[in-house]
Amino acid sequence: MESALVLVGWDFRRTPLSVRERLAFTPDGIRDALGDITRRGVLSEGVIVSTCNRSEIYGVGTSADVEEAVTEFVAGFHRLPKPDILGSRYGLSGPDAVRHLFRVAAGLESLVLGEDQILAQVREALRVASAAGATRSVLHRLFQQACAAGKRVRSETGVGTRATSIPGVALELARKVYEDIDKRSFLIVGAGDIAAIFYDLLISRGARSIDVVNRTFDRAQALTARGGTPRRWEELGARLPHADVVVCATASPRPLFGAAEASAALSARRGRPVLFLDLGVPRNIGEDVASVENAFLYAVDDLKEMAARNLAGREKDIPRAEGIVEEEMSDFLSWYGSLAVVPTVTSLRRRFEHVREEEFDRQLSRFDRVPAEDREKIRLLAQSMVRSLLRHPTTALKEESDPVRRVERAEAIRHVFGLEDDAE
Amino acid sequence: MSAALVGVLALLLYGAAEGFSIVSLRKNSDSLARWTTVFLVSGLVVHFVALQIRARRIHSVPYRDLSDSMSFFAWMIALAYVILFFRHRERSTGPFLIPLVLLFLAISLLTRPATLPARKELSGSLFAFHVTMAILGYAALSLSFVLALLYLIQNRQLRQRRTGLLFSRLPALDVLDRMEHTAVAVGFSALAVSATLGMIWAKKNWGTVWDAKLGATLLVLVVYAVALFSAPLGLKGKRTAFVSIVGFSLVLFSYTIVNLFVSKGHVFR
Repeated sequence: MESALVLVGWDFRRTPLSVRERLAFTPDGIRDALGDITRRGVLSEGVIVSTCNRSEIYGVGTSADVEEAVTEFVAGFHRLPKPDILGSRYGLSGPDAVRHLFRVAAGLESLVLGEDQILAQVREALRVASAAGATRSVLHRLFQQACAAGKRVRSETGVGTRATSIPGVALELARKVYEDIDKRSFLIVGAGDIAAIFYDLLISRGARSIDVVNRTFDRAQALTARGGTPRRWEELGARLPHADVVVCATASPRPLFGAAEASAALSARRGRPVLFLDLGVPRNIGEDVASVENAFLYAVDDLKEMAARNLAGREKDIPRAEGIVEEEMSDFLSWYGSLAVVPTVTSLRRRFEHVREEEFDRQLSRFDRVPAEDREKIRLLAQSMVRSLLRHPTTALKEESDPVRRVERAEAIRHVFGLEDDAE
Repeated sequence: MSAALVGVLALLLYGAAEGFSIVSLRKNSDSLARWTTVFLVSGLVVHFVALQIRARRIHSVPYRDLSDSMSFFAWMIALAYVILFFRHRERSTGPFLIPLVLLFLAISLLTRPATLPARKELSGSLFAFHVTMAILGYAALSLSFVLALLYLIQNRQLRQRRTGLLFSRLPALDVLDRMEHTAVAVGFSALAVSATLGMIWAKKNWGTVWDAKLGATLLVLVVYAVALFSAPLGLKGKRTAFVSIVGFSLVLFSYTIVNLFVSKGHVFR
């Protein structure tokens, strides 16, 4: 039987959050579901991508109505009535399913264009499925190539490379001064929401040396629960020379320090550069700090402007990203197509030979007046007819260079000649 | 095969390396960047063959006329760049550093090699090592000069909050600083070794160690010593880059004016 690539999914565009929540798979759930679905024979291979924005099941199906069967399975697994999830479901197969996965990995299907996390999530989905023994050659190759496409899109285009949030831009700037964020010292002044967002980002990027100075010491202490050192307000001046990056995000009505303090800090650092990020409104850092040698000062408006420019840059690069997706896709499909063509040709030949042997020989045996040597001639004639009939479809299939069309042709031939229920 | 023909082949390989390094920087592609390394290293090997052919013909390290010395200098820059590349794994400086190799190799190929009479005192291994070290030193210092310029450009872009393509592709300030430091360290050490060997040779052949070139070289060494050991003096970042640029202007002065007009032992002959 022909095996086909299918995708059944629900995402944030089509499915309301209330339904999506109930369709989400936990890591253990993914293992159980994949074990179950392959054991039942609905899919011969399967991978589940489940994030807060999407639940998608990729698989190699073995029956004609595999999409229905997968939907049925998902409804049963999550104990949801099938009509509830049918409306917003999308089902794709063959090249369309491949394209969708590649676009997902590239961040082109994400809520925030080109966001980074999805690539890691796709990679993780493959890892979990492999560990559960649910992948074989096709899905393994498919997901690896999808990750390669995602990686290329991020490194070769602006989609997803440049940050579009203020903390993201701030971190990107820090990387232009000091390459290794995890080895650098940060000083966060303030412990409010913005300071907390920046703190979380630093922790997630592996920064270890983070001082948090706040007027209320308790709040600094609360913020540094996951690493870093809380400092008293009086220590601000003393900590300044130790910081490679200073982030100010307080509600102070006046600047907390100016060029004099910055200069003193920089000479104590023997001129090692410092990036000052002023996220406060009104400004927390005196504007004259910008004139101090080896000090770089960015205020919140500068960061906003950079973020806006980066977002515009990302959108501009969508066509290039799509080009990469198509390239990687045709690479995968030409491999996959070569898989599909060989079994199709084999079963087509087998079907014709079957007709010749069974039907033709049986009919021939009903004529008793045909001499033996003529029977042999007729048999040879039948063989050569079968060969002639096969010649054209076989070459049309094998010599089609476009991988998408080749897979489509193989599928058409299987359908027309009823090869779907041939045993493999 | 003639040395010039092999030299042209090396030039083409270096040119390809430069092409790939520009495109890979623009597209930010790792696979293209790998080709830069392949072409650069092949250029280095082929160029070495060209230098070998010259060396066999003139029975000396090829440095005695302008053509040979430029070719040798270009090869040393390529070598120093490859060392720097493998030490720091930073490929985005390639488009700015490889042109130095192209420039000096092109000058060498455009000038006619002179046929100079063999001189016994110039063929010993002490002398060969002196010249080789000097050229390696100048090559590394040329790279440090370009890296210092890149540092100042990146510094300026950060200061003016300009964040274009160049900004996003150039490495972080501290990486440029470290690369420059490596280049200065290699250049300084090679030049110091060369000066020492030169003094030993001069004492033996001239009976004195003094030469105007030695004076110029000592001055160069002092300036670079400041750049190299400047951290305790409070020199870091932008100012170190300046010191390095001053040092390089002295190198140029020493390589041209001193060689051509002042020194008694350092003219091409």
